[in-house]
Amino acid sequence: MTETALAEQLRLLPEYLGHHLSLTLVALFSGIAVCLPLAVLVTRVKPLQWPVLTVASVAQTIPGLALLALMVPLLGQIGFLPAFIALLLYSMLPILRNTVTGILGVAPDILEAAEGLGMTSGQRLFRVELPLAAPVIIAGIRTATVWVVGSATLSTPVGATSLGNYIFSGLQTQNSTAVLVGCAAAAVLAIALDQLIRLGELAVAGRSRTKGWLAGAGLLFILLSTLILQIPTAKGSAVVVVGAKPFTEQYVLAEALTQRLTQAGLQVENRSSMGSMILFDALTAGHVDCYVDYSGTIWANVMKRQDLPPRADLLEEMKDWLQREHQVLVLGALGFENNYGLAVARHKAEALKLASIQDLTRHAPQMTIGSDFEFFVRPEWTALREAYRLDFREKRTFDPSLMYAAAREGVVDVISAYTTDGRIIEYDLAVLTDPLQALPPYDAVLVLSPAAARRTELVSALEVFDGIIDDGTMRAANKRVDVDGESPAQAARFLLEAVGLSSPAQGRERSDS
Amino acid sequence: MICIQQVSKTFDQGRSFAVQEVDLEVGAGEFVVLLGESGCGKTTLLKMINRLVEPSRGRILVEERDVCRVNPVVLRRGIGYVFQGVGLFPHMTVAENVAVVPRLLNWEPSACRDRVDELLRLTGLSPRTHRDRKPHELSGGQRQRVGLARALAARPRIMLMDEPFGALDPMTRDGLQREFKRLQQTLNLTVVMVTHDMTEALLLADRIAVMKRGILVGTGSPGQVLRSPSHPYIAALMETPRRQADQVESILRSGGEGK
Ligand SMILES: Nc1ncnc2c1ncn2[C@@H]1O[C@H](COP(=O)(O)OP(=O)(O)O)[C@@H](O)[C@H]1O
Ligand SMILES: [Mg+2]
Repeated sequence: MTETALAEQLRLLPEYLGHHLSLTLVALFSGIAVCLPLAVLVTRVKPLQWPVLTVASVAQTIPGLALLALMVPLLGQIGFLPAFIALLLYSMLPILRNTVTGILGVAPDILEAAEGLGMTSGQRLFRVELPLAAPVIIAGIRTATVWVVGSATLSTPVGATSLGNYIFSGLQTQNSTAVLVGCAAAAVLAIALDQLIRLGELAVAGRSRTKGWLAGAGLLFILLSTLILQIPTAKGSAVVVVGAKPFTEQYVLAEALTQRLTQAGLQVENRSSMGSMILFDALTAGHVDCYVDYSGTIWANVMKRQDLPPRADLLEEMKDWLQREHQVLVLGALGFENNYGLAVARHKAEALKLASIQDLTRHAPQMTIGSDFEFFVRPEWTALREAYRLDFREKRTFDPSLMYAAAREGVVDVISAYTTDGRIIEYDLAVLTDPLQALPPYDAVLVLSPAAARRTELVSALEVFDGIIDDGTMRAANKRVDVDGESPAQAARFLLEAVGLSSPAQGRERSDS
Repeated sequence: MICIQQVSKTFDQGRSFAVQEVDLEVGAGEFVVLLGESGCGKTTLLKMINRLVEPSRGRILVEERDVCRVNPVVLRRGIGYVFQGVGLFPHMTVAENVAVVPRLLNWEPSACRDRVDELLRLTGLSPRTHRDRKPHELSGGQRQRVGLARALAARPRIMLMDEPFGALDPMTRDGLQREFKRLQQTLNLTVVMVTHDMTEALLLADRIAVMKRGILVGTGSPGQVLRSPSHPYIAALMETPRRQADQVESILRSGGEGK
């Protein structure tokens, strides 16, 4: 963890923190604005109590990530709105429950005194019930604050920038600095907001001017910094939004696209770590302008096709279909494929003279195959086994990050690998060819939203990517992140240089945004 | 001033009555004490006067008007009420507690402040030391004084008091009782006070109304109920204070030697 690695992450902090803060604050203030009146209503109209609290509890039991992901199809949008609604729902239970408990907890003799002295029911509420329930209500708001600050990190996959960008991309690219910065920033923010509320409460309870001023100044500081941090990101409609799925290669490619577009003088916003299906929907809806997808993925998941034409035919048919059905432009195939493939330690491949999967059929009964948790239940595995009549002695599953090492150490003989994974180089593995074309092709394709396809400056900046990245170059760029610990931005500069798309000076000048 | 006519209250649709067919008239400036064992319906009867409890049957007039036909909020602001459990607001200071009704009536802040100090002095508290305390920083007796001050704050002409001197030690109780009696006479307050303490009733009341299981068994001046009780239950009740008085007297006569 070098100093430059940390500095690189910290440069992203203003943007991430600004978005995180505004999302959190808007959700929290709305939560309070909705829940306080609702809770009061519930204490007045007893039959409502059970249904309202139950709905809020149910919203709470849905895991944060699932709740956020659910909002996308429900609202038909990505970005701020689904994140905001999900966080609002998340903040409701503690505020509602504590307000109801606090109000119902006011002693009956106090209420009778208030009534007997001639208070109207409104005066009773504001002069007696709410002040007496305040400590419990504020405890609920503090709980909600901490939850919302934490859960807001989960809004990254639905396309809202947050401190979660650090965590999601950091976990995928094994960049512990990024993960730590993200977690630390979220924790500090949660503690700061929590203590600020506490200070405000103490100021009111103890009628302390000093504490009141301090709490007010703190709140003002946070509101102002939210505004100021938002300014640099408040760009016009000409901004190009670049998307990425949550894994290393996608981060590197998104950075490469971003750098290329920035060189061309365009304003770019990078939306990393979005869920795979969300990303395609976001593209067709125009929330994302471009990203890199894979032909086999679109074929199976979007077009729902099960047949398997040859690589070039599949690519052509997919292009036509995307244009026809969604007005999505496939600007080109980048040149490499990120397939499922079978890999063997190079020395073993040489010793056994293994070049293609066909050569494996004979040895399989004496061999162990390792894979990630998913591969053995995927159609690709069935297709491979049937095409090459593979019958391994044993199957073992690993976390993807351990799988490549297992092949090198000889723990297993063969692994299912992503063909552009950088660890294939690092661990000196050989990828076997697939002469029967049993595995679907996964050509990397650059896709543009209908609106982006009409912007000539954007198209001309990106069409140069057609066919220029081969498997080896992509693998080398991925290795820089996964093995050498570089950031996706650094790896993207390497990639652009390697394919001759950037002068080194231009490349270094920009980093990320 | 207060006219209770054939009033009954049931909390269980007529299966039992907390108060049953009570008739009672309280004149202006009169001090009436409701006396009876606990659970006999005194508090319920008192609460019906300012409509904290709605009568099931019958009618209550306060200053010639049916309490069920006037705005209860306005009615209550004009009647001082001392609650059985005091019921001070724990989040307010002593001064804020006392000033609750004046504030509801939109008095000027300076008028509220002056009135608070005046009442604290009147009830034997020092404005300087007690004004800014919270109820939990007071003794039980001080809290009852604040409760009394709060009830008196907006200069009501009627006071309803539910065992207002209950939590006091005998010395303090005696002092406060006498101060309150003097106050009642100077301000010509109409008072209905609830107690189960016979001596207190005899010492304070102009008239004692004795209740038993929701029924008003009889009324009379302290002298009448002691000397010629109109009901065997009243006679039985008065046995206790009478015997105590006799004992005290015999101790005095024997010069303080033995019993
Ligand atoms: N809100 C209520 N609901 C039901 N029963 C009540 C209620 N208030 C009082 N009671 C009943 O009415 C009777 C008289 O109570 P109360 O007037 O408080 O007696 P006292 O003040 O003389 O001790 C008691 O039996 C009591 O349980
Ligand atoms: Mg009582």
